[in-house]
Amino acid sequence: MKNYDAIVVGGGPAGATAAWSMANKGLKVLLVERGDVAGAKNMFGGMLPYCPVAEGLLPDFWDHAPWERNVVKRSLTIVSETSTTSLAFESDNFDTAPYSGFTLFRPVFDRWYAQKACGAGATLLTGCLAEDLLFDGKAVSGVKIGRSNGDVSAPVTIACDGVLSLVGQKAGLSKPPRLSDMALGVKALFRLGEEEINERFGLVRRQGATQEFLGCTEGIRGGGFIYTQTETLSVGLVFHLDSLKESGIPPYELFERFISLRPVRRLLKGAELAEYSAHVLPEGGYEAVPQVFTDGLLLAGDAAGLCYTNGLNQEGMNLAMASGFLAAETVVEAHGKGDFSARQLSSYRSRLDESFVLRDMKTFAKSVELMHNERLFSIYPALVGTIMEEIYRSDGRPRKKIGRLGWDAIRAALPVKQVVADVVKGGRSIL
Amino acid sequence: MIVDDLFALVSYRVHPEAHILVNRDRCADCSHRACTFACPARCYQWNEERGKIDFAYEACLECGTCLLVCERGALEWNYPKGGYGVRFRLT
Repeated sequence: MKNYDAIVVGGGPAGATAAWSMANKGLKVLLVERGDVAGAKNMFGGMLPYCPVAEGLLPDFWDHAPWERNVVKRSLTIVSETSTTSLAFESDNFDTAPYSGFTLFRPVFDRWYAQKACGAGATLLTGCLAEDLLFDGKAVSGVKIGRSNGDVSAPVTIACDGVLSLVGQKAGLSKPPRLSDMALGVKALFRLGEEEINERFGLVRRQGATQEFLGCTEGIRGGGFIYTQTETLSVGLVFHLDSLKESGIPPYELFERFISLRPVRRLLKGAELAEYSAHVLPEGGYEAVPQVFTDGLLLAGDAAGLCYTNGLNQEGMNLAMASGFLAAETVVEAHGKGDFSARQLSSYRSRLDESFVLRDMKTFAKSVELMHNERLFSIYPALVGTIMEEIYRSDGRPRKKIGRLGWDAIRAALPVKQVVADVVKGGRSIL
Repeated sequence: MIVDDLFALVSYRVHPEAHILVNRDRCADCSHRACTFACPARCYQWNEERGKIDFAYEACLECGTCLLVCERGALEWNYPKGGYGVRFRLT
C-alpha cells in the first residue's frame, strides 16, 4: 500500500488549494480526482469572488490564473408578468486590481490549478474515484481508490468531494441533507462572441457583468442568472429542491421559459447553444454546516456545506479555496505534533470560525429563512411590477404620492400583517 | 423545443455498468414520482405498461437531484467509475 502524509479527495478549488498548500510545506500529498481532468465534472457558471489565500500560494496569482472577465457590473432584475424592474450597479473601483470578482470556466481553471498543486510537489491522480474510506479503529486511515492496486494510506484525509460528499457520509460526518437545504442549478452555455457581449452588456476590455433574476421561476423558490465569460454567456436557473419537487415542473422546461422572457431573449439573440449542465448546491447556510472533522478526516468546500447567498451575494468558490487552505494549515500542524485525532483536528473548525468563511456565513445565517419565503418569488416581484407601472404610467388621471400608491398596491396584494412580518424578518436577515 | 438540443450537447464517456441502481420494488407505489420530472437530464420515465420506472443512466449529469428527491431510499447512488460519465468541456 502506498503511503502519503495526506490524501485529498477531489481536485476542485478546495482540494487543489489544500494539496498545493500542504505540498508547499513539504508534505507528501496525493490528490485524487474522478474526472479525467480536474474540472471535467464541474458545471459552475458563476463568479469567483476575490479570495486572499490565492496570492499566498502564488504571488500575482490573478495575473496567472485563467479567468475570463473581471466583474465590474452587477444587476438584479425583478420580473413580473408584464414588466421588469432592474437595479444595475457598476463601479470604477471594481475595474482596478485587485478585482472583486472573476468569471471563469472551471474545466479550464481547475485543471490549471490542480497542475499548479502538482508543480508544488503533490501527486495528482485523475480518472480516479475515491470508492471508500479505510479505517484504523474509528480513525480514517486512507482511501480505497478505483485502481487495481487500489488502497492508499495517510494519517489524514481531506474530503473536498463536493456537495454530496459521499466520502463525508462514509465517515458519518455529512448527514443526508434536508431537501429544502439543497438547490438544483441548471445552466446552458451560449456562444455569442466577445464584441457582441461587450456591446450588449456595455463592457470594454476584460470587464464582465452578472445579472440575477427574481420572479422568473413560476413561484418556485429560486432565481435566474446570466454571467458573461469572454465569448460566452452562462445562463441558468437555481431552485430549492423541495419547491421544485412540489411544483411538478421539469427544470429544463422552466429553463426554456426563462430564456424566452423578453429581457433574457434580447441578450441571447443570435447566440449559439454550446453546452448544458446541472448540479445540486448547498443552500442550508450556516446552520446546515456539518461537523467538519473527525479522527483522520476533514471536510472542505461544498463537502462542508460552505456556500451561502443573502440574495445579492452568492459565494462558494472563494469559501472552498479558503477552507482548503485552512484545512491544509490544520494538517501541517497535526503533522508537527504527530496527532491526527479529532481533538487535534478540531482546530480546523476554530480556523473556519475566525476566518471570513464562517463569519460571513454566520452574518447571513438568517438569510436562509428569507430565501425560503415563498412570497419573495411570487407576490413580491409581481408587486414591484405593479408599483413601478403605477409610478411611470401617464394616463391623465390624478397621481397619488408614491408612498400612498405603494401602500395601496401592497394592501391589495396581501394582508398587512403578513407584509409587516416579512419586512421584519427580511430586515433582520440582511440589515 | 430547445430541450432536445440541450441534451444533445452533453458529452459522456459511458461505462458499461450503471452507476445508479433503482430498486423498483421500493418505487412501485410512489405517489409523486419526482425523479421523472425533477431529473434535469430526463433519465427517469414512468413506464405505464410495465408499471415501473425506466431509468437510462447513460445521460446522467451526476447532479444528485434524484438521490435527494427520493425519500424512499430506492436508489443505490454512486458516481461512475473514475474517468467515466459526464464530461464538461467548458461550461
